Amino acid sequence: MIEAIESALDFLPAGLVTLIIIVGKILVLVLPLMGAVAYLTLAERKVIGYMQVRIGPNRVGPRGLLQPIADAVKLMFKETIFPAKANRFLFISGPILTLAPALAAWAVVPFDDGLVISNVDASLLYILAMTSLGVYGVIIAGWASNSKYAFLGALRSAAQIVSYEIAMGFALVGVLVAAGSLNLGEIVEAQRGSLGIINWYMIPLLPLFIVYFIAGVAETNRAPFDVAEGESEIVAGFHVEYSSMTFSIFFLAEYANMILIALLTALMFLGGWLSPLHGVLPASLLEGEGVLALLLGDGIHWLLAKTSFFLFLFLWFRATFPRYRYDQIMRLGWKIFIPITIVWLLVAAAMVVWKIGPWFN
Amino acid sequence: MVNIEIDGKQLEVTEGAMVIEAADDAGIYIPRFCYHKKLSIAANCRMCLIDVEKVGKALPACATPVTDGMKISTRSEKAIEAQKSVMEFLLINHPLDCPICDQGGECELQDIAMGYGSDVSIYSEQKRVVENKNFGPLISGDMTRCIHCTRCVRFGEEVAGIKELGATGRGEHMEIGTYVQLSLSSEMSGNVIDLCPVGALTAKPSRFTARAWEMVQHKSIAPHDCMGSNILLHTFRDQVVRVVPKENEEINETWLADRDRFSYEGLNSDERLTVPMVKTDGQWQEVDWDTALQKAVGGISKLLSEQGGEQLGAIASPNMTVEELFLLQKMMRSVGSGNVDHRIGQIDFTDQNDEPVFPWLGQSIVDLENNDAVLLVGCNARHDQPIAGHRIRKAALAGARIMAVNPMDYDFNFSLAAKKIVSPAKLLQELGGILKALAAASNITLPTGLVALVINITVDNTHEKIARELNEANNASVILGLDAFAHPRFASLRAIANQIAVLSSSKLCYLSNGSNSAGAALSGAVPHRGPAGDASALKGKSVTDMFADKLAGYILLGVEAELDCAASAAATEALKQAQFVVSMSAFCNAQVKEYADVLLPVAPFSETSGTFVNAEGRWQSFEGAVAPLGETRPGWKVLRVLGNLFECAGFDYVTSREILDEVQALTANTPLNNDMPWNCPASLVIDAQGFESIVDRPIYAGDCLVRRASSLQDVAQKHQFAIRVNQNVAAHAGLAEGEQAMAKKNDIELTLPVVIDERVPDDGVLVPSYLSHGSTTGEVTLSRV
Amino acid sequence: MTAITNYFKSLILVELFRGLVLTGKYFFRKKITVQYPEEKTPMSPRFRGLHAQRRYPNGEERCIACKLCEAVCPALAITIDLEERDDGTRRTTRYDIDLTKCIFCGFCEESCPVDAIVETRHFEYHGENRDDLYMTKEKLLAVGDKMEKQIAADRAADAPFR
Repeated sequence: MIEAIESALDFLPAGLVTLIIIVGKILVLVLPLMGAVAYLTLAERKVIGYMQVRIGPNRVGPRGLLQPIADAVKLMFKETIFPAKANRFLFISGPILTLAPALAAWAVVPFDDGLVISNVDASLLYILAMTSLGVYGVIIAGWASNSKYAFLGALRSAAQIVSYEIAMGFALVGVLVAAGSLNLGEIVEAQRGSLGIINWYMIPLLPLFIVYFIAGVAETNRAPFDVAEGESEIVAGFHVEYSSMTFSIFFLAEYANMILIALLTALMFLGGWLSPLHGVLPASLLEGEGVLALLLGDGIHWLLAKTSFFLFLFLWFRATFPRYRYDQIMRLGWKIFIPITIVWLLVAAAMVVWKIGPWFN
Repeated sequence: MVNIEIDGKQLEVTEGAMVIEAADDAGIYIPRFCYHKKLSIAANCRMCLIDVEKVGKALPACATPVTDGMKISTRSEKAIEAQKSVMEFLLINHPLDCPICDQGGECELQDIAMGYGSDVSIYSEQKRVVENKNFGPLISGDMTRCIHCTRCVRFGEEVAGIKELGATGRGEHMEIGTYVQLSLSSEMSGNVIDLCPVGALTAKPSRFTARAWEMVQHKSIAPHDCMGSNILLHTFRDQVVRVVPKENEEINETWLADRDRFSYEGLNSDERLTVPMVKTDGQWQEVDWDTALQKAVGGISKLLSEQGGEQLGAIASPNMTVEELFLLQKMMRSVGSGNVDHRIGQIDFTDQNDEPVFPWLGQSIVDLENNDAVLLVGCNARHDQPIAGHRIRKAALAGARIMAVNPMDYDFNFSLAAKKIVSPAKLLQELGGILKALAAASNITLPTGLVALVINITVDNTHEKIARELNEANNASVILGLDAFAHPRFASLRAIANQIAVLSSSKLCYLSNGSNSAGAALSGAVPHRGPAGDASALKGKSVTDMFADKLAGYILLGVEAELDCAASAAATEALKQAQFVVSMSAFCNAQVKEYADVLLPVAPFSETSGTFVNAEGRWQSFEGAVAPLGETRPGWKVLRVLGNLFECAGFDYVTSREILDEVQALTANTPLNNDMPWNCPASLVIDAQGFESIVDRPIYAGDCLVRRASSLQDVAQKHQFAIRVNQNVAAHAGLAEGEQAMAKKNDIELTLPVVIDERVPDDGVLVPSYLSHGSTTGEVTLSRV
Repeated sequence: MTAITNYFKSLILVELFRGLVLTGKYFFRKKITVQYPEEKTPMSPRFRGLHAQRRYPNGEERCIACKLCEAVCPALAITIDLEERDDGTRRTTRYDIDLTKCIFCGFCEESCPVDAIVETRHFEYHGENRDDLYMTKEKLLAVGDKMEKQIAADRAADAPFR
C-alpha cells in the first residue's frame, strides 16, 4: 500500500514524499489512539459506575456515547490559568514532556505481523527509554506550578516511577532472555507454537507477567498506586494547578500510557496478535483467505481484544482497591517485586539453557 | 431569732419574718406571683404553697410567719401537688398567646409553668376574655392575660400613692382596671410593667419591637435627675429599645421614674444630629468632622485674637458627663476664658463664692426616709426627682411631717403637715416668717441684720407650725428644689433657708438641676471655681451675665438655650446677636440652626462612656451601650480634639477613664459639706404688682432628650402650653377656661388658652418659661383676646 | 505456621482477588440509579424543601411575628421586623429567609405556633443571582398561595404523628 502511495506521488520530490508518508503513518496511529483514549475515559466511568451499582454517564448522545466529545469540547473552551508565581516556560513544557514520550513509544509497537511504523530491533529498549522519560514531565509540572501539593505529587511520582522501573526492566529482561530478541515483532513470533495459549510467555514467566503488569499500573500512576495525584491528600498532585488543555494533555498522556502498557503486556506475555485457538482448532481453519480464517486466525483483532482485557483490569483495579500508602508502595517495589523478578530471571535463564519445553525447545 | 428548717437546711431567722423571706435569704426559691418584697402581702395567688410539718393543709409561704422549730418542705409531694394544682388553676383562664405577647421569654408565668406546672390541663371549657384597657401612652393593658395577683393595684396604693388601678367585679368577672376611664398619671407608673408577672401590663412604646432574648442588656445611669437611678439599657440591632431599672437599694430600690424609663425614645428621634454641619452664607451644609472642627476652631481663634477670652462663653447642660464638663472647662480656661457655666436653671449667683463645692443632698438618699420633718422650699420633688419624692413619701408614711413653701400647690402623693403657697416674690417673706417664728419659739437671737429684715413680717399659725415641727424633729431637712434655684433672689432665699436649718438643727439639702450638677461643680464647669472648688482658677462670668452681657461667641454643650435656660429669652437674644456660636449636641432644632454657626454631633449618654455624680455625691460611671449614631462622636473625644486643635496642654487622653482618674484625683479630698457663712440679705421684699408670673416647668420638658421622647410627650399633652390661673384670678381678669388670652410681660407677648388651675396661688399666673425673660418673677398683664 | 500461610496467601494475592471478585459481582448487579428528571424518588409529607408562608382560608396571613423561628434558626437565616398593624394585631413588616444560609433543618417549621412558615415539597428551584435566593415575605406568601393545597394535605397526613 505504501508503494502505491509512493508511486501516486512520484511527481513530488522524494524527500517530501517520505515526509508525507511518515506524517501519514503518524496520523494513522495517533488519531485512533486519541479516539481510544477518549473512549477509554467513558469506559472507565461506565465500568466504575457499574461496579458501584450505578449507570454512569448516559446523557450526552445515545447511552452517553458522546460524553468524551462533550468533555473534550468543554476542556478546549476553558481558560488556561497560569499561577501567578509559576515558571511559565516550564509550566507549559510539563504537559508536552509528558505527552511526547507517551506517543513516541508507539512508533515501535507492532499491531500485526509487519504492521509497525518503525520496525527496529532495539524496540524493547526504546520503549523502556520512552516510558521512563514521561516522569520528567511530571517532575517539571510539579516544580513549575510553584505549589506545595504539586511539588509533593511530583516527588512521589518520581520516586515511584524510578522504583518500579527496575522491576519492570527486570521483567522485560526475562522476556528478552526467553525470546532472544529485543524486537517486539520477534518476541511475539517467538511465542508462536502448536499449543496456542500454552506457548505464550505468561505460562513460563507467570511471576514476571504479574510483576510487569502491576509495575505498569504503578508506572502510569493509576489506582491503587495513584499517590502522585492523591486527591484526598495532596488535592490532585502534580497537575493541581493545571486547567483546560494543559490538564487534558496530562490526561491524554496518562491514558495513552495505560493503553501502551496494556498493549505491551499483550504483546510480550499473551502472544500479541496470535490466535489463542492454535492447538484447539485444526490449523486448516486458522489459515487461508476465508472470513472464518481471518476471524479465527492470527490478526490485529486478537491483539486489541487482549489489550482491552488489560485495560478493563486497569479500571477494575481502580474500582476495587484502596490507594496504597506511600511506604507500602516502596516496600512492594523494592522488597518484593525486585527479588521476585531476579529469582525468576534466573529460573527463566535456566529454562532457556536447559531448553525446557514446550517453550524453549 | 428562731430556728427553722427549710428543705433540710437549718436556718436562724428573725422572728415574725414570713417563710418566703427566710427562704429568699437562704437562697431557696419558692415560686410566687403576688408576693413582692417591696409591696404588702396579699397571698391571693397561692403559688407559694409549701408543706409545713404537722400542718394538714399546704400554707402560703408569703403569709406564714416563721415559728420556732418549724419544718418546711418546698418540694415535698404535698407541696408539689399543691403548686401544680395552683398552676393549672391559674392557667385555666390565661390565654395561650405567648407568641404574640411582649412578656414572652421573660414571663414569670411562663417560667413557673415550666418549672412547677403540669404538662396537661383537664380544663377544656371556654377561656374568659377581658376587654383590653387603655392605660395611656406608656402602658399597654392586655387584661385577658391578667392573673389577678394585684401587684399593680398595691403598687398604686402603697408606692405611687395614687389609687388608680383596682379590681372590679368578683370571681370570674373580676377585672383589673382604672376605676374611671383614665390613663395612669403617676410619674412612676411604668413600674407596674416590671411588677406584672404576666403580659397584662407591658410597655407601650416598646410594644412589638423585640423579643426578650434578642435584646442585649447594658448597665447605665439615668440621665435626667440628680438621683442617678441605676438602669439597664436593652439594645436591639444597635438601638436602645427599652429601659428597665437595675435594682439598687441605696438609690432607686427596684423602681424607676417614667422619665428615666421612656426617655430612650428620644435617642432614636428624627431630630438627632448625625453629621457635623456648618453654616456658610446662611446655608447649612453637611460636612466631615475635619471641616467642621476647622471651622469651629477657626471661628473661635479669630474671635479670641480679636476680642479676647472674655468675649467667649461656654454653656453646658448639667446632663453632660463629668469627663465632658471637665474637658470643656479645661479647654476654656486654657484658651484664656473663665466663662464656663452649667447652672442654666439658676439666675442669681451673688453668693456663689460662699456656696458649697457642689450642691449636696446633705445626706444619703436612703436617709431621706429617716427624716422626721422635711421643709420643701420651692421643691416639687415628686416631678423633678421622683426617686427623692418616693423616699420623702416613705418618710411621710412613717410619720414624718412634710411641709412646703412653694410657688404652686403641687400634687404630692403624701399629705403636707403645713404649706404656704405664695407667688415667688413672696417666698422670701414666708421663709422670714418661719425664721421669726423659729427664733421666737426657741428664744434665739437672730444674726445681725436679720432682725431688721423680719421685723415687719407677721408670723401666722402656719409659720409657727413649721417652725415647731422642724424644732421638735430629731432629724429634719430643709430641701431647696428647682423652683428655689430658679428664684431671682436665690442668694437671699438660700441665706434664710440656711438660717432656718441652722436654728432648727436641720440639714440644708439641695435637689439640683439635671443629672450631673454635682459632677459639673466638682469638675469645675463653673465660672468662679476650678475643679474641686479651686478658687485660684481663672474666673469668668456666670451664665446669667454671659447672656446679659451679650458676648461675641458661645460654645454650647448639650444645651438648647432657648428651652433649657431659666433666662431663656435673654439667652435666645444673646445667641442670635453673637458672631460665632458652636453647638455640640446630640440634637438639633430650628432655633439652634438659626443662631449657631457650627453644629457638632456629640453622643448622648447611651452612646458614650462617662460618669455622673448624683446629689448624694456618688460617682457612677457607665459605658456606651450602642455605637454612636451616624457620624456622632462621644463628647469627650470631640473636646479632646478641640483641645488639641487649640494647642492646649494636657489633652492627650486615650480613654475617658484617664479623664475621670484626673478629676477624681483632684476631687479626692472634697468634703461633703453644705455649710455656708451668714451673709445678710439686703432685703426680703420684692416689689410686685398685679399678677406674678410663675414659670411653668412641665414634667417632661426638662432636657433635650426627654423633650423628644414621643410617648412621654403624649403623656404631657394634657399639660400643654397654657396660661394657668386659679378661679379668683380668672374672675378678676375676666377670663374663662378655654378662652384665648394674651399674657404680656416686659416686651414679650404670648397668646395662649386659659386653664383654670387651683394649684396656682391667688397672686400668680403660671406661664411658659419663654415669658420669663431673665427673671422667674415679674408682673404679667393678662387680657382677653 | 499461620505466618507462613499468610505469607503465601499474600504472595498469591488471595485477598486482592477476593476484592476483585466482589467488585466483579457488583458489575452485573441491577443498577439503582434513579434517572432524575424522568424518574423521581418517593417523597415524604415531611419533606423539607422550599419555604412558604401560609394564609388562613380568609386570606389573612398566619404569621404573628413571634420570632420563634428566628430564635431557633441555627444558621441565622431568618430576619424578622414587626409592627402593630392598624387593627392592633402583631404582624411582620419583613420576613426574610436567606436560602444561601438556610440548612433546611426544619426547625422553623417545628417551632411555628401557627403553622405559618412551612417547608414545602418544592425543591426544584434555582436562582441566577443571590437576590433570587433571598426569600422575602412576598415571595414566601406567593409560594404558600401557589402550593397551599399540597401543604395542607401534607400537614394533615403528618398530623397523627405529631
